[in-house]
Amino acid sequence: MLAAEVVSEDTVLPEDRLRAHQYQLLARFLAAPAEAELLRLASGLAGDDTEFGRALAELAGRAGQVTPEAASREYHDLFIGIGRGELLPYASYYRTGFLNEKPLAKLRGDMARLGMARADTVKEPEDHIAALCEMMAGLITGAFGAPLDLTAQRAFFERHLASWAPLFFEDLEKARSAWLYAAVGTLGRVFMGIEKTAFTMET
Amino acid sequence: MKKEQEATAARRRDFLKLAGLGSVTAVAGAAAAAVPAVAKEEPPGHTAGYRETVHVKKVYELARF
Repeated sequence: MLAAEVVSEDTVLPEDRLRAHQYQLLARFLAAPAEAELLRLASGLAGDDTEFGRALAELAGRAGQVTPEAASREYHDLFIGIGRGELLPYASYYRTGFLNEKPLAKLRGDMARLGMARADTVKEPEDHIAALCEMMAGLITGAFGAPLDLTAQRAFFERHLASWAPLFFEDLEKARSAWLYAAVGTLGRVFMGIEKTAFTMET
Repeated sequence: MKKEQEATAARRRDFLKLAGLGSVTAVAGAAAAAVPAVAKEEPPGHTAGYRETVHVKKVYELARF
């Protein structure tokens, strides 16, 4: 692999960069409890008068009101708990009812082919919603090699997210422990819908 | 055929814009500043280029005259 094989910034379209940013935003909220910096950033988001824009605005509003301590408690109750949280944000769990199942094995195979690996610092299985969002973002922008074309992005999305992520985000929206994260759920649900539709427009 | 592709790409772009995605710019770079959970890994069979192994170092050592 030659160092000279640089993918120019121009090959990623602006609308795809925005998609990547949205995946990264979701990843950041779902990977760890929202700390002060993330809350500050999120509170500055502005949305237009679309379902997506309204979801962004709602998240911004709640991020501006919640304290890091409250956010941390929510996150803990939702995803960590004692033994388990209210939700288990893993593809294997949603698709089979168990953790560490075939969906995870399939994902690991695809990750290896696409030049992705779990970071050393991470203990959770790779089929966590946050990791998958991070992967989509990186595959779009070319963080792991050349940016994937839309057909390949769609394939990854359909193999690893489409069948369960919308349901997960819906669960997050309605979760007992969620207030700030309910808005993350709404945003995620709406975004998954947009992705699904937009992928039908790839050549 | 190319015109069709361009038309589809334009439709997709317009759809994403109309869906509200333009609003996401604010958090752009900042969202990426988190500690990544996924790293880049060289697929097997690829070498990252010239590697200075012990073997190579020895060759250079011996080549000194």
